[in-house]
Amino acid sequence: MLEITNFTKYYGDLCAVNDLSFQIEEGNFVTLLGPSGCGKSTTLHSIAGLVEPTEGRIHLRGKDVTELPPEKRNIGMAFQSTALFPHMSVRENIAYGLKMHGYSSDERTTRVEESLELVDMPDHGDHKPDELSGGQQQRVSLARALAYEPDILLLDEPLTGLDRVLREDMRGWLNSIQRELGVTTLYVTHDQEDALSMSDKVIVLNNGEAQQIAPPEEIYESPSNEFVAEFVGKSTKFQGEVTQEGNRAVVHNDDKTITLPKEDSPQGEHVSLYVRPEDIEIKTKEANVENSLSGTVLEIANLGNRAEVTVELTDETNALAHTARFPNIEVGDTVALQFPAEKVIVL
Amino acid sequence: MSTKQTGIDRITHTVGERLEGRISNRHLVGIGLGFVGFFFILPILYLIPESINFNSSTPFESYRRATNSLYVEVLIRSFIYGILTTIVTLLMAYIISYFLAFSTKRVQIAITLIIVPLWIAYIIRYFGILLFLSPTGPMNTILGVDIDILFSTPAVILGLANVYLPFAVLPIYNSLNAIHPETLSASRVLGAGKWNTLRNVTFPLSLPGLVAAGLIVFILATGSFLGPAVLGGPNQSMIANLIAQAFLENFNIQFASALAVIYTILLLGFLLIFNAVFDLQEVFENI
Repeated sequence: MLEITNFTKYYGDLCAVNDLSFQIEEGNFVTLLGPSGCGKSTTLHSIAGLVEPTEGRIHLRGKDVTELPPEKRNIGMAFQSTALFPHMSVRENIAYGLKMHGYSSDERTTRVEESLELVDMPDHGDHKPDELSGGQQQRVSLARALAYEPDILLLDEPLTGLDRVLREDMRGWLNSIQRELGVTTLYVTHDQEDALSMSDKVIVLNNGEAQQIAPPEEIYESPSNEFVAEFVGKSTKFQGEVTQEGNRAVVHNDDKTITLPKEDSPQGEHVSLYVRPEDIEIKTKEANVENSLSGTVLEIANLGNRAEVTVELTDETNALAHTARFPNIEVGDTVALQFPAEKVIVL
Repeated sequence: MSTKQTGIDRITHTVGERLEGRISNRHLVGIGLGFVGFFFILPILYLIPESINFNSSTPFESYRRATNSLYVEVLIRSFIYGILTTIVTLLMAYIISYFLAFSTKRVQIAITLIIVPLWIAYIIRYFGILLFLSPTGPMNTILGVDIDILFSTPAVILGLANVYLPFAVLPIYNSLNAIHPETLSASRVLGAGKWNTLRNVTFPLSLPGLVAAGLIVFILATGSFLGPAVLGGPNQSMIANLIAQAFLENFNIQFASALAVIYTILLLGFLLIFNAVFDLQEVFENI
């Protein structure tokens, strides 16, 4: 278990992380998600002991490690650059951490082979890192980080350099290894798909402050503020003041009227509304139902399994909707967008 | 495009047009190799016949004379001084380079400070060191003790190391600077302290630069002439001083040539051994 309390880091006058507190339960996979410069790497490096916190404490399995140098913390870490030692073979790379952790020569031999098995690379022990592909290097880097059974595994954007297909493969693979070993893991990324698909819990960071700490579905379906709503996932945004119309709360936005979910009716407040593209249906005819907006198709992006359709509404703002693959509509068509009131996110 | 061409522009344009298509990379390499061959290799080869007396019944008399213990001693001293200077220089250069690569943000200024001395003539730098080390010089004043090391082995080694330092700093700095910072972080997180990281990661990764620097300094130092001439006494003479003396003072071209040939062959032999231990091609590819 990892516990961060009131972690703050200043670089000179620049505040990189401000009063961040969170904890990771034993065996959980937690992701620090945020744009570049949000402080996620600083946080990760502080846990590793590579960056000294300005304030705050870091407890690892109940022990205060805040003042300890990296080599005394028993942490496993995979870096974005892989950081493999280029002058050592794969086997020597993995043995290095074991040696520094005091494993005997016999134990090292056994564990290196086990680690190579774990990452499906039993035949690559004698290769030098530069003879391996990017994905293979990342797997060796992971094997090296896990070989000595660290108290926590820190992953610093390990999938960033990989191409899309490999990246998607690696996600599942990484998850299965993490579950198999039950190692507590903190993953840092700017990629929301990484975060949503892999984590037990996601911490969204911006400008050095935690925006929301919650399971992925909660982050996506009930974002706690506008930043989270806009950073995680795509959506169409409306703004306006909440008024009561009949028995339902609505927001008037130019000529549009948007009905809100039943429970969310902060009367008289100025709110931002978000609708996810998969919650919007495209109809060819406008029907007299709640939350039906008409517009003109501006762009159709066919993504294979689905299509992303950009529709220009009558007030010249754009809305984004998902349809089934290769929809039977064309750019310039007049369409109606419909979405259930219950799917509107009110912030 | 401007049609107005004046002076030098017109000349280069005309020359360029004439040469276009007629000159290849092979020609350019030829010019370089020709220059080196004609002004470097030939003159050195010419020393071989000059060292042999073809009109005598003992044509290798100069070589026999060179085996006299007096001259052998100087030859051995040259190589020992070369090795000592290399050790001292590499040690200082490694510390400086390490600082440059990992501990300062003012790399540009520091590198400039290291390179600027190269603009100053060797004789001036040695002369400066001479005055600095002299019994009434600032070193004794600063240190507050009387150390008289002038005209001794330490003075020569100190002077040589000082003068050749920039040649060692640059390759070592380059190879240290090429180490990805995350590689060093990884070593620490894997459980290695600062010293273990230096020993197991930083040092091995900087070895190509260190070997290249060592080679350059060793070759330069072994053939030093001005250093021992200014800072050493008669007992600090090196092979270059001996050759110069034979040639310039005693006008014994044959003997001077014989010494030069012996020295050059020994140096080449040394380089061959060096090459067998460290693959020099690999070393120079890596820096």
